[in-house]
Amino acid sequence: MKNISLFIPCTVDLFLPHIGEATVSLLRRLGMNPVYHQEQTCCGQPALNAGYRQEAKKVAKHFISVFEKDEVIVSPAGSCACMVKDHYPEILENEPDWLRRAEALAPRVYELSQYLVDVLKVEDVGASFDGKVTYHESCHILRGLGVSEQPKKLIQAVKGAQLVPLNGADSCCGFGGEFAINFPDISESMLEDKLENFLASGADLLLLSEPGCLLNIGGYLNRNHPGKKIMHLASFLSTNGREAGYGN
Amino acid sequence: MEIKTEQFTELAKKELKNDRQRLFLKLIPPVMRMKREAGFGTLPDAPAAMACGAAIRAEAMARLPELLEEFEKNATANGMKVVWTRDDKEANEFIRNLAKEKGIQYVTKGKSMVTEETALNEVLEEHGIEVWETDLGEFIAQQLHRTPFHIVGPAINVPVEEVRDLFIEKIGLKEPTLDPVQLGYAARLFLRDKFHHVKMGITGVNMAVAETGTIINVENEGNIRFTKASPPIQVSVMSLEKVIPTMKDALHLVRLLCRSCTGQRLSVYVSMDSGPKKKDEIDGPEELYIVIVDNGRSKIYQDVKAREVLRCIRCGACLAGCPVWRQIGGYAYGWAYSGPMGQVLNPVLLGLDKTQELYRASTLCGACKSICPVGIDHPSLFLYYRSKDVLEDPIFKSKDRPWAERQFFRIWSFAASAPWLWNLGVRMARPFINKDARDGIISKTIGPSAGWFRKRDLPSMAGFTFHDRWKKMQNTESRGQKSE
Repeated sequence: MKNISLFIPCTVDLFLPHIGEATVSLLRRLGMNPVYHQEQTCCGQPALNAGYRQEAKKVAKHFISVFEKDEVIVSPAGSCACMVKDHYPEILENEPDWLRRAEALAPRVYELSQYLVDVLKVEDVGASFDGKVTYHESCHILRGLGVSEQPKKLIQAVKGAQLVPLNGADSCCGFGGEFAINFPDISESMLEDKLENFLASGADLLLLSEPGCLLNIGGYLNRNHPGKKIMHLASFLSTNGREAGYGN
Repeated sequence: MEIKTEQFTELAKKELKNDRQRLFLKLIPPVMRMKREAGFGTLPDAPAAMACGAAIRAEAMARLPELLEEFEKNATANGMKVVWTRDDKEANEFIRNLAKEKGIQYVTKGKSMVTEETALNEVLEEHGIEVWETDLGEFIAQQLHRTPFHIVGPAINVPVEEVRDLFIEKIGLKEPTLDPVQLGYAARLFLRDKFHHVKMGITGVNMAVAETGTIINVENEGNIRFTKASPPIQVSVMSLEKVIPTMKDALHLVRLLCRSCTGQRLSVYVSMDSGPKKKDEIDGPEELYIVIVDNGRSKIYQDVKAREVLRCIRCGACLAGCPVWRQIGGYAYGWAYSGPMGQVLNPVLLGLDKTQELYRASTLCGACKSICPVGIDHPSLFLYYRSKDVLEDPIFKSKDRPWAERQFFRIWSFAASAPWLWNLGVRMARPFINKDARDGIISKTIGPSAGWFRKRDLPSMAGFTFHDRWKKMQNTESRGQKSE
């Protein structure tokens, strides 16, 4: 059995741990052996986004030390994968030794759907679901990692699931970490556009692969449209779309 | 022009309440996107064309001082008078004095962003020289005393009824009409008369070709061509980064510029001027001045990372591409340049202290970067400016961050590098974060995060984190394996 090192972002660890469990069960179902380093904390993205580059660097070094011996590292979050793949080499550019280690690590980090489809060549994971679903193209997965077809292939291979188009699927949902807190008016307005498109799509369930967007869109749905559901792709595939509700 | 970049958040709130504008912002950007995509679809390899655009602008910036000297030499040999100005004051003063000296009563203007930046119109008007903007959208924006809503369509958001009333009041529109063609015709008649008698025309510059000493203007209405061909004196104002090495480079950038602006393969007019009227020629200006404006760009040039913003060719593709601009439109950005273009340019032109909200009002979604035809990485520049706030940068006048935020990230980064402390922190933070939780959901809180909860919930912090659950999962797994 191949070892897969789990890169569980802090949002998942602390607020959405069921996504981590779903990732584990999905990988085990595909004959992989997920391993988890208990020393992992956060990738440092909140600090970088707020301008705290020195602090982000400190956290990046910890992350690299924890993960650098792993052959394959898989994360159920696109923006965190981008942080390691794109931003670590950038923030460590003036420290040659760390830069080398960051660059050696970067190509071994994968977003979950990217790893399943591109590396394992799996599309049908044996899941089934009866109903219409649609897919939100999270910014860092689509534009950061260039991953768009992979999650859709996984969804289309689910027995009984009908993937319907989402208008403006590639438009940001208004999360942006601190953005949602610092600019709530603009953020809410972006989010409402996303919701309008989701409701118009006719789907019962909105799928995505980014915990940040899930907190944002899910938080709005839970308050305003409790009948509509949102799910991380990993949960959808591992529970046949029967994941429990939003809260912990 | 009053600079209102510090009021971004308030202005944005106001714009979000303008229902008519919101409807407009829902309908028009998708059309602009479709046109742009159709335009790029006519290129054999659009990503390669964009990469080539990025390479041309990167080369131009790498060789900027040398190219500017080459341009000056060739333009001067062509009979142009090249004038170097350090800032807005010097540029405006030169043009004002020239107008005074030549006894100019009024000028016509072709659309020029750098003169929006230097507020040339206000200076000329203060000195009794009338200014007539001749780009239809800019003409409307000027009469309404507004900044451009969109760089390519400065008044694209103004309802037709408002244009009708404006034209009745300002240009003597006789028969009220809502027909855009009739309104355009009225403006045309009015401006034709201005062109007919004009003694001095002022334009911007889209590109300045170093190898030939040529300036290029791209437009659809023909008003720039009139402004350049009618009067005996032509003044073309350019910010110093407009220079590019060769005519071949220029032609490629024209391809990208037109497609990115409006989706056209080529705009209706592309005019190239290499000097004033020569002895055997029948038209063109007798004197042609090129006013090169620095206005802070040399300082930007010194910063190798920030220099990337000087690649911008002002196509405006990033505006309609931006999900934030699509919510609030152009006015909230508070100055000449709006959208991601303004968010990267304004901070280094005006100072970080006056623009902090601009470069923080981004989700870093990368839509701007993905459609920029010259390879500007806007999100990375936002992060760069944000980092200057923290590190304190006197050159771009950074604005300090709150003390509490600094302490938070200091402690947070310390904990995130020490797992035992991190886990302890998680256990200590949980009751605090979950103090308002009901049934696993947090619906309200006080303090800096309150904005989130106005319309959104958050799951409470899990009683068992993934860390905790992993231990359990591992046990079940190993038990499972043993029993097999």
